[in-house]
Amino acid sequence: MLAARASTRNASRIARSFATVVDTAGVKVSAVDYGQPTSAVTFLIKAGSRFENKPGVAHALKNFAFKSTSKRSALGTVRESELYGGVLSSSLSREHLALTAEFLRGDEPFFVELLTSFVTSAKFARHEYQEYVVPVIESESNAASSDPAIHAVELAHTLAFRSGLGSSLFANPHHAVSIEDIKSFAASTFSKGNIAVLGTGIDQAALSKLVDKTLGSAPSAPALPSSPSTYFGGETRVESSHGGPQTVFIGYGVAGPSNPSIAALSAYLSPAPALKWSNGLSPLSELPLGTSVQSVYLPYSDATLFGLLVQGTTTKGVKDAGKLVAKALKEAAAVKSDDLKKALAKAKFAAASSVDNRDGIINVLGPKVFAGSDTSVDSALTALDNVNGAAFAKAVSTLLKGKPTYVAVGDVHTLPYADELGL
Amino acid sequence: MALGYSLAGWIKSSRTLSKYIKPVANWYADLAGYRQMGLKYDDLLVEESPTVQRALNRLTDRERYDRAYRFKIASHSSLTHKPLPKEQWVSANEDKRYLKPHVEEVLKENEERLVWDTMTVERK
Repeated sequence: MLAARASTRNASRIARSFATVVDTAGVKVSAVDYGQPTSAVTFLIKAGSRFENKPGVAHALKNFAFKSTSKRSALGTVRESELYGGVLSSSLSREHLALTAEFLRGDEPFFVELLTSFVTSAKFARHEYQEYVVPVIESESNAASSDPAIHAVELAHTLAFRSGLGSSLFANPHHAVSIEDIKSFAASTFSKGNIAVLGTGIDQAALSKLVDKTLGSAPSAPALPSSPSTYFGGETRVESSHGGPQTVFIGYGVAGPSNPSIAALSAYLSPAPALKWSNGLSPLSELPLGTSVQSVYLPYSDATLFGLLVQGTTTKGVKDAGKLVAKALKEAAAVKSDDLKKALAKAKFAAASSVDNRDGIINVLGPKVFAGSDTSVDSALTALDNVNGAAFAKAVSTLLKGKPTYVAVGDVHTLPYADELGL
Repeated sequence: MALGYSLAGWIKSSRTLSKYIKPVANWYADLAGYRQMGLKYDDLLVEESPTVQRALNRLTDRERYDRAYRFKIASHSSLTHKPLPKEQWVSANEDKRYLKPHVEEVLKENEERLVWDTMTVERK
């Protein structure tokens, strides 16, 4: 009985970490099996918007996923995966393009082959681009630009990092992307060194074997050059006529590898309560009525953007809440040790629970697989353990010494300027 | 049938047949008179069908513009009841099937959709 207990505890400890990364035919393959009833395989490709040579190419490529290949047509892809009961999806971040297939256990030969055939032999037909891809790109871009929160964070990235990480996730209607642009971007990114295969609910050896069999013929080209990110900051104001909430983003960024102290700062300032219907105990818990503040913590491989998104129904409320945010940021370095402990626990929980679902696993551990670093969540947790008051104060004061990134979206005539908030 | 029935493939596959029929076919195509009006053969394709409409959408901008321009020229020469001056006639090697490949592609897609729609699934 006791022995059985001990072994299950061990199993859960192992399950915490991701499986080791194996280089199969030049492709990094990593899989973990918690015994889920379904499997998922993700091809994580370094083809995010920071690598694009023309605005919107990465977004177009993301929407081109699972269209015609030399093996099967777009319709065939959809119908055949429906027969297997699988779900295909593609998602884009600033660094990676993720092509994911989720399916029942045992169907992995078909779905790995399907993903591979897109990576190695996509046709990129002009008529498919016009008929299926362009409408989706347009509607996604429209939806993003009509959501003030997304719009503000996109603008904040542009202000903060200008090129590279600054390029938008969404295609711009004023920059036409031609099918040749997409083809050449795909040709330069779909190479072995740029792809990592991540599996969940699937055996590592089985996945390696399948990848070896199907992806062995993929071209191996050097990784795309990406200039290291630099933080700039700045201020912009955009009129929004969509009638959404008045929005202000107050952010700071820093270049370099992600710093656990900034994650702790984000957890410290986040007004999201631990208990429903309560205000929480964050320094931002006493907000004016009708306003909300969200903390935004976005770590990238060589830079971090941290900020607070203030939204409200009236510009006056946003101004008052913005003043509170600016004050809280200024006082954050002198945090009480009890509050820091609470923030660290909150950040640790956020880091640990983010790998509970599949998206989280891909987001958190995918970059680590590429970097070849320790692919477990434990390293992130121990990094947070090492944060103390002095390190926190130092990290926060360096972060706040930079120029703020300030974005106002909404009624620009009455929304506050950065200096009016005391930034 | 968007493209109409054709024996062309069968005739082309036989050397003897194509040797005898090709001169007749070329003579007939010249006689039909559409080249004298500045049109290409694919301009005559019946476009009032969803298949061909879909194929027309797949032309490049340049091809679409040229097609409209040829129609304009042709309707003008129809109005004047005169063929174009000889140097403006479409020559036999300009008379390419620019639309046919697209129509065939659309037909193939329709057929594939029908196959998927009407298949029976068997568990192996």
